[in-house]
Amino acid sequence: MVCIRQATVDDLLAMQTCNLMCLPENYQMKYYFYHILSWPQLLYVAEDYNKKIVGYVLAKMEEDSSECHGHITSLAVLRTHRKLGLATKLMNAAQRAMEEVFGAEYVSLHVRKSNRAAFHLYTETLGYKIHDVEAKYYADGEDAFDMRKQLKKKFTEGKSHPTKTSLENAESSSSPDTNVKDGDKKKVSTQKGEKLDT
Amino acid sequence: MGSSLPPKEANLFKLIAKSYETKQYKKGLKAADQILKKFPEHGETLAMKGLTLNCMDSKAEAYELVRKGLKNDLKSHVCWHVYGLLYRSDREYREAIKCYRNALRIDPENIQILRDLSLLQAQMRDLGGYVETCRTLLTLKPNHRNYWIAFAIAHHLNKEPSKAVDILIAYEGTLEEDYPPDNERYEHSEMLLYKISLLEEAGDLEKALEELNNKLVKIVDKLGAKEIQASLLLKLHRYKEAEKSYVNLLEINSENHRYHEGLKKSLGISVENGTEGVDTVTKLTDLYSDLQRKYPKSVAMKRIPLDFLEIGSFRSAVDEYMRPLLRKGVPSLFSDLKSLYSQPGKAHVLEEILLGYESSLRMNGSFPGSTEQEPPSTLLWTLFLLGQHFDRRHAFDKALQKINEAILHTPTVIDLYLMKGRIFKHAGDALAAAALADEARSMDLADRFLNSECVKRMLQADQVEQAEKTASLFTKDGDQHNNLYDMQCMWYELASGDSYYRQGLLGKALKKYLAVEKHYADMVEDQFDFHTYCIRKMTLRAYVHMLRFQDHLHSHRFFHQAAISAIRCYLRLFDSPPKSAAEEEEAAMRGMAPAEKKKLRQKQRKEAARAKKQEAEEKLKEEEAAFSSSNKGGKKGSQPPKTADTDPDGEKLLQVEDPLGEATKYLKLLQDHSSEVLETHLLAFEIYMRKKKYLLALQALKRQLKLGLESPDVHRCIIRFFNDVDNLPPPSTDSGKLVNSVIELERSCFKSIESKTLLQANESFLNMNKDSLRHRAAAAEVLFLLAPEQKSTAVEILESSVCSHSAGGGEIAEGVPSWGLKDCCLVYDIFSNTLKDLDAASRWKSRCADLFPFSTFFNGVKSSATCGSENYTYCRKMQASQPPGPLAANGHLPDFSALKIIS
Repeated sequence: MVCIRQATVDDLLAMQTCNLMCLPENYQMKYYFYHILSWPQLLYVAEDYNKKIVGYVLAKMEEDSSECHGHITSLAVLRTHRKLGLATKLMNAAQRAMEEVFGAEYVSLHVRKSNRAAFHLYTETLGYKIHDVEAKYYADGEDAFDMRKQLKKKFTEGKSHPTKTSLENAESSSSPDTNVKDGDKKKVSTQKGEKLDT
Repeated sequence: MGSSLPPKEANLFKLIAKSYETKQYKKGLKAADQILKKFPEHGETLAMKGLTLNCMDSKAEAYELVRKGLKNDLKSHVCWHVYGLLYRSDREYREAIKCYRNALRIDPENIQILRDLSLLQAQMRDLGGYVETCRTLLTLKPNHRNYWIAFAIAHHLNKEPSKAVDILIAYEGTLEEDYPPDNERYEHSEMLLYKISLLEEAGDLEKALEELNNKLVKIVDKLGAKEIQASLLLKLHRYKEAEKSYVNLLEINSENHRYHEGLKKSLGISVENGTEGVDTVTKLTDLYSDLQRKYPKSVAMKRIPLDFLEIGSFRSAVDEYMRPLLRKGVPSLFSDLKSLYSQPGKAHVLEEILLGYESSLRMNGSFPGSTEQEPPSTLLWTLFLLGQHFDRRHAFDKALQKINEAILHTPTVIDLYLMKGRIFKHAGDALAAAALADEARSMDLADRFLNSECVKRMLQADQVEQAEKTASLFTKDGDQHNNLYDMQCMWYELASGDSYYRQGLLGKALKKYLAVEKHYADMVEDQFDFHTYCIRKMTLRAYVHMLRFQDHLHSHRFFHQAAISAIRCYLRLFDSPPKSAAEEEEAAMRGMAPAEKKKLRQKQRKEAARAKKQEAEEKLKEEEAAFSSSNKGGKKGSQPPKTADTDPDGEKLLQVEDPLGEATKYLKLLQDHSSEVLETHLLAFEIYMRKKKYLLALQALKRQLKLGLESPDVHRCIIRFFNDVDNLPPPSTDSGKLVNSVIELERSCFKSIESKTLLQANESFLNMNKDSLRHRAAAAEVLFLLAPEQKSTAVEILESSVCSHSAGGGEIAEGVPSWGLKDCCLVYDIFSNTLKDLDAASRWKSRCADLFPFSTFFNGVKSSATCGSENYTYCRKMQASQPPGPLAANGHLPDFSALKIIS
């Protein structure tokens, strides 16, 4: 009933629209471009029977840290399309790609302390654990749970394939300025209540 | 660089360049001034000082200095390069390219300038030039991976995919056998997949597949590789293997509909929009019953057959499909089934089944023919679905009845209120829809979706101020009223523009539409940084896809809507221009004594001078502020300070000198990107007729004819065109005569007016379409245009229209009037504004009020526009319980969770 597939550049505008409908944390188009042009395998959409994008996951790799790991930038499902397990399916698809394509050891995300429905989804359905609490992470002063999920047993030496470009040289500039005010800071977001009580 | 300077100054010059790169502008400026103290005319220093100032927001001075520097040292590639960079920063890419070319004439092998040039060529799609620049770069630096890749990309974009393949093969030849090292695996894998896609694009499918199979070990994107493999096998007609591949993919993700399509194709089952033969249906049925056994949990396996099954088997399949979803309470079930309504008979079957559910659940608490007791919520979701079902079939009374029963059953389910609001919207009561959405919103203030839905409904009900306040609950950003513009929230801008347009506030409307246009311009700009970034990251398939997306970016619906609406605003501005300041002044001065006039003029002059002085002072202050903030910014890149919007209400936009010229700008984009949409050519016609460009109007007409032969709007345009042209005075110039003869020649293309007078053509148009209200409206309007004395006949054409009622077999429920609310509003508009027959208008209004009892436009008895109706009372109550008031930011509103307004 709802198609789960990898996102393409053609989906980005619809993803932005979906994000603006559902979540308080929003991004300019350039940030979506940045994601798909850096980690094209890590964006997934849920497309309904009428070809409308009703949910998405936007994810990335943290390439600067010692342990190669993925990070969920943003996840949303329209309120009208809850109870189908779309968030779970989107998350599973993105996590699978992080592990398979980029060799991620674990995946991290932030969630509002008050967002019980999302917290429930991450802990109960998807197996995330609280790693830390980030005080006043959100623009409105709310704290975030820094959550993590282990993806696989650590690789034996030499088998992992981290993803840093080594051909960084004099003429390569840093990643494009994404024009999102502290783009890496306040981005988390999860839709409220995948599990809706009736 | 700085070669003509003595050592001390030469070092200072290097410091300027370094400071520029590290964004330490103040430091650079100081160094420049030190040099200029001794050598005030030194061209390169002047230019670099200009470039530095440009980053400190002193645009005018920057240009002045750079130009002066260049004048003093025309032979310096630095000066030319700097001039190019200056233009680039202002997005004047064509000019920038010229400057770089001049710089390269002086220093043809300057890598930095060549690179800068290549980026602009990619951005501007100067593909031939891009290929050449990349060739030069690679020749100069053959050891550099990025130049190989860029050279291949350039050929690919220049429509030479096989040359691009050759380049990548040559590049691979430079690599060691055991390439890649661990830290390059992803990049190398992406390069290989890119090469395979190039082979496919070049038409060499065999080779593409072979390459894929050979390099499989080195490809880390395993899923991507499998998808490509399956699609290549299919294209190569190797169906058995393709089938296997798609089955394999379904194993990984059974909900990806593209895999389903692939599997069907590899089994030789062609599915073209519901016109399958009996044979195909049998094959599909077998396939899916097999798949359902294999994937018992997959929803797609159960849903897809509903599309192709014939009524008999459809009934039992959809019955089985809906039960578990109703039990679970899936709110999107209706939207999932929506596409079935256009298939003959299926709506009716759904109705029978659902009504059967309802009565069985009410009587026995179970589904028909089952003994299993359902939870009470099953009835609730059945009623919810029935409400949507009747709404879809335009049986609004029944729809409301079901939703109200559902609300009575469980008053706390927010989705019910959302749905009820939607029903009111469809039935023509936007006010009640907004009130309902607001009630839903108040039930969970932390849910932005409810907030967005409410804002949308408020805008549809022309409650713009209320909408803005409500939206800002989530979008307040520091001092900013809201960040909807910064976050490119285009649905909001369009809905708000539409509301202003309806209210006749064209300045505010234009402001919103042009904001959308600006977002698209920014998106075009967004690609710039990625030209280097992607080549380094090697995400080449996504990169090329992005470039192609950019090439047709302006065909996207938000842009399309914004452009159409902006053009409409400009047309209205042209037809009735707002009074300019000068005209108003003149009107005010009329009747004044000369001495008084003189006094007033003097006063005005003084005021103007004062205003000018103030403006200059403010500008100075702004520049100072910019300076200090860029100091603090340091390396992280100081964002230019936000300049306050000097025209928040679009007043200046109203004073546009040439509205048709502005409209033409947007029309061009529509013609380039939305040429398959009738609306584009209807607007083109309107613009060109006003410009009296008859040949262009004729061209628009011919394009209309291709897209909408039967359209009443096209009929209107054809008649108007020939009526106008026929009534023109005979041409006096040669070109005028030529235009006329072309039009005469082309007249024969228009079959509807062939060998008829325009009046006769209109009459036969009416006779051919006499059952359609929209066509009758066009015929009446055209008649009045051609023969104003036949006004009463025109009125008669409209009043004698007969509204039939649906028999209930198709999408629309039995007994529902066949006329659309929109068309009826249009007819009312013709009565009151074109024909100016107010009696007829009021007769029409009361007739439509009966047809559309919920319509506020026609004052229907059940609408909120009618005092005493249920909706009237409800809307008053909701309004009394507002306003949102001052609120916390970002949707985190603990204090407001107590504020519930549930009746």
